[in-house]
Amino acid sequence: MIEHLGPQLFNGLVLGAFYAIVALGLSLIMNLTGTINMAHGSFMTLAGYLAYSMVLKHVPFGWALVLAPLFAVVVGVVVERTLVRPLYKREPFYSLLMTFGLSLMAEEAFRLIWGPNGVPFSPPASLAGAASLGFMQFPTFRIFIVGVLVVAIVALALFLTRTRFGLRLRAAVQDSEMIAALGTNTQLLYAVNFSLGIFLAGIAGVLAAGMLGLSPTSGNALLMPAFVTVIIGGMGSLFGSIVGGLLVGIAISMTTLFIPAASEVAMYVLMAIVLLVRPRGLFGEEGIFG
Amino acid sequence: MSARKELLISAAVVVLFAFGPWLSPLVHLDVSIVSEVLVTAIAVMSVNLLLGYTGLPAFGNAAYFGLGAYGAALSVKYWQVHFIEAVLIGMVAALLGGLILAPFLLRRRGIYFGLLSIAFGQVFYFIAYRYTDVTGGEDGMQFPRPYAGLPSAHVAVSELGFYYTALALFVVALFAFRTIVRSPFGRTLIAIRQNEPRVRYLGLNTDRFIFVALLISATLAGLSGALFGLLINFAYPLELDWHQSGYFVLSMILGGAGTVWGSLVGAFIYVIGKDIISTITPLWQIFLGALFVACVLGFPRGILGSLQALGRRQPQTFGDDDVNAAFDAKAPVEVGRGV
Amino acid sequence: MNRPRLSRRSFVTLAGAGSAAAVFGIPAYIPRIGEAADSIKIGLLEPYTGVYAGPAENETHGFEMAAEAWNKRGGIMGRKIELVKEDEQNDAGVAAQKARKLVNQDKVVALCGTVSSGVSLSVAGVANTLGTLFMDSGGHSDDVTGKSCHWNVFRTCHSTWMETHATGYALQKRFGKRWFFITPDYAYGHSLEAGFKDVLAHNGGSVVGNELTPLGTTDFSSYLTKIDAAKPDLVLVFVQGDDYTNCLKQMNQFGLLKKYPVGGPQVELEPLYGLPPEARGGYWGIEWYYKSEKTLGKNNKVAQQFVADTIKRTGGKPPTARNAFGYITLDRLAQAMNDAKSVDPVKVARAIENVHFTSIFAGSAYYRKEDHQLMWPMWVAKIRPNGTPGDKYDLFDVTDINAAEAVEQTIAQKQAVCKLGYPG
Repeated sequence: MIEHLGPQLFNGLVLGAFYAIVALGLSLIMNLTGTINMAHGSFMTLAGYLAYSMVLKHVPFGWALVLAPLFAVVVGVVVERTLVRPLYKREPFYSLLMTFGLSLMAEEAFRLIWGPNGVPFSPPASLAGAASLGFMQFPTFRIFIVGVLVVAIVALALFLTRTRFGLRLRAAVQDSEMIAALGTNTQLLYAVNFSLGIFLAGIAGVLAAGMLGLSPTSGNALLMPAFVTVIIGGMGSLFGSIVGGLLVGIAISMTTLFIPAASEVAMYVLMAIVLLVRPRGLFGEEGIFG
Repeated sequence: MSARKELLISAAVVVLFAFGPWLSPLVHLDVSIVSEVLVTAIAVMSVNLLLGYTGLPAFGNAAYFGLGAYGAALSVKYWQVHFIEAVLIGMVAALLGGLILAPFLLRRRGIYFGLLSIAFGQVFYFIAYRYTDVTGGEDGMQFPRPYAGLPSAHVAVSELGFYYTALALFVVALFAFRTIVRSPFGRTLIAIRQNEPRVRYLGLNTDRFIFVALLISATLAGLSGALFGLLINFAYPLELDWHQSGYFVLSMILGGAGTVWGSLVGAFIYVIGKDIISTITPLWQIFLGALFVACVLGFPRGILGSLQALGRRQPQTFGDDDVNAAFDAKAPVEVGRGV
Repeated sequence: MNRPRLSRRSFVTLAGAGSAAAVFGIPAYIPRIGEAADSIKIGLLEPYTGVYAGPAENETHGFEMAAEAWNKRGGIMGRKIELVKEDEQNDAGVAAQKARKLVNQDKVVALCGTVSSGVSLSVAGVANTLGTLFMDSGGHSDDVTGKSCHWNVFRTCHSTWMETHATGYALQKRFGKRWFFITPDYAYGHSLEAGFKDVLAHNGGSVVGNELTPLGTTDFSSYLTKIDAAKPDLVLVFVQGDDYTNCLKQMNQFGLLKKYPVGGPQVELEPLYGLPPEARGGYWGIEWYYKSEKTLGKNNKVAQQFVADTIKRTGGKPPTARNAFGYITLDRLAQAMNDAKSVDPVKVARAIENVHFTSIFAGSAYYRKEDHQLMWPMWVAKIRPNGTPGDKYDLFDVTDINAAEAVEQTIAQKQAVCKLGYPG
């Protein structure tokens, strides 16, 4: 058992980084507009399929990793402007319900376009093997995933803290009416913010498609852990999503090692404990979202 | 409207359903589908109480629904209980589930409440899914339809017997629901929906009101789940899944949030509509998804809600209209004394 | 505003009742569309949504082709076959409900279909209560023709016992006796595990690791890291569907496919086509194949026609075992109704039992009288990761053929657990 501890911990961190990036996208959208995007998993799957189709047309994997999420963003912006936007003024559960409906439609659409079976999608040969980490052999692709996720998270942090637009975004989360009154185009903020969330989902989707399988239902499996991650990290906190993701990843990998049967319930138990000790989540701000 | 008129019209609807077994073959429907409408309407009511009246996004009610189904299923399978006992056990199981979750859910409001409901509801789903030795896991569990449990009737409940039992229980549930939402307690819930801080200023402990509403909702969902389990003689994990909760919420919106009869109308459209579409095309998910989108964007008040808005005159007293008004704007409200 | 004084609430309730009545009226028109006069209706339950949508679609092709072939010949006793399809969503509960609906509302005379075992068992139970025939085309659990067998239930695809024993002997011969299992943690997985342990008990050998993975596992890394420590002769993978794809893909990424031989009781082409070539490999049990004399038999015109017709129908995709299940199932059911000159379930059931027939596979077969299992051969194949030149779908190199009687439990073993319980 003990000899597996190191590798397992590392596995947990990789998995956690994954949940973190999905949760970050969810959080971004939720924080600014109160929209719980139930179709987040569908955007991941969409980006995965787009990348698959590109690689099939001999687009290099690296390009697909950027282009597929961008195409998903285009779809995302259209959805946001036409379907989500009218709901901003309404109670948040309407957008939850609407995106739920979208995810049902998307699943069927994927089935119609790319077929009901999974499709073969794998990382390029240069990332295919396993590399030695000293204490274990670890798949190169997983190390690559960690690298991409770290870059994405750092870039997001820089964007939000160092650019004017990012500052406005964060200010709008605090008080969007004030920002509007000061002359910022809040609709543009909403659209860009939604796009950022979808872009993160897209990157996660392409990477997940390479590591796991790619089928019409594959994105939805990652949605629930991402929700739990947001709750544990605390709504309203992006930093919380990152910490929450890592915690969930480690919790799952550790229980898989010791009590495999409880591996899925583990994150919920973690969530319950966190909420009992700290009802707003680890880094959640009091007062946001009740 | 006078109480007499309301009684008359309600009676007319009930009589219409009383003739269900004769009417449904005329339109090519099996009576069990109409039973399902009645059973589902009770679950929609449970969502309506929390979301339609109190304003809490109840996206986890499938958990109580499933607890009811499994409560009934397990008790019939292992203890060979009678029909009514199975229903009661299902309700108690759901009530206990509500008691366990309440301390977590009560702490939050709004969309956070919805997120927590989904997440905690999934725990029950995974238990049913994984605890295969008892629940049968993914395969679900099949059980025989139990005896009626009357001293004179030692026969398994027939399809027709089930229908009338479901109809009777639906009428009881609807009457109880109507009484609750028109009581001072129910009016306080509406007030909480519209402006919780103000209710708090008035010295009312809103947590306590929500706690009671949550338990009533869980019990209603449990009743519905137990009946559903007994209807199909089967309990399975997807009954507890958040998708199921979403379907309940959709049905509620379809019928009309915050209306007494909206639950029946919504359940009717959802159950019958899904039945028809899934027969015509395997692409039913697209249509269901489109229904979600269209309903939310174009028809947020639902059928009864929209009709009421059409027929609305000056708001005089508390009634369903005021709840619906709250979907558009914050209307000033009076606050009842509550429990 | 001077409206007529219709009180608000009465208006609302009236309108509600009115709209309810209107909705009540809608279905009256729907099911009548396309309803052929006096056709024989057969209900088809398949998981068109969910993880088994692919196999479901292929089984449906098989069913439809059999129905079309019979209808072209004039139908059964002059009556056309009409398939009524329902999506059981790969869910036992939904399936139970739809089965009731098909029988009570659509008046089908028999039920067919299903992919996953739990669903098969649930439909079998409901069908038995209703006294309707159920032809399980694709659910593999032993229980369907074992301890949960019924007089009205027949099964076309192989039982898990047949799968484990056919592949168990073939694999042991090649790779040795220290086995590592990756088992999905539910009834189906446990019965596979039991089957292989029975093989090991017969020939001597040991299980050096058995990882029980929850259904729906996405990340297998936690389980895979334990394989290296156990140093097995062979890794047996029992997980199915999306889990299978995830597991094999990750085994490849962890470099395990190069280090250890891999195999399993059964693999289907649907998930295999969804795997990148480098993650395909090993020896697996297969239930039918479109491009081998071992599976189709020599010069089997019917089989060749079936393969050609399917490829034409799907625009280039060859049939899988699922297409074959669907075709064989409905073809036999129709034949039995024709022979019995009746759709009475008991008479039809009697007309299926122990009747030997040839079809789209090698040799002849029969649904065994004692347990209603189709007794046909079970094959083992080595995977060609990239197909053959000119046919990227051609992934199987069929190596072994096992007679049904050699790999299924004996009649005596079956009779100890299975009581068919005909009415009367």
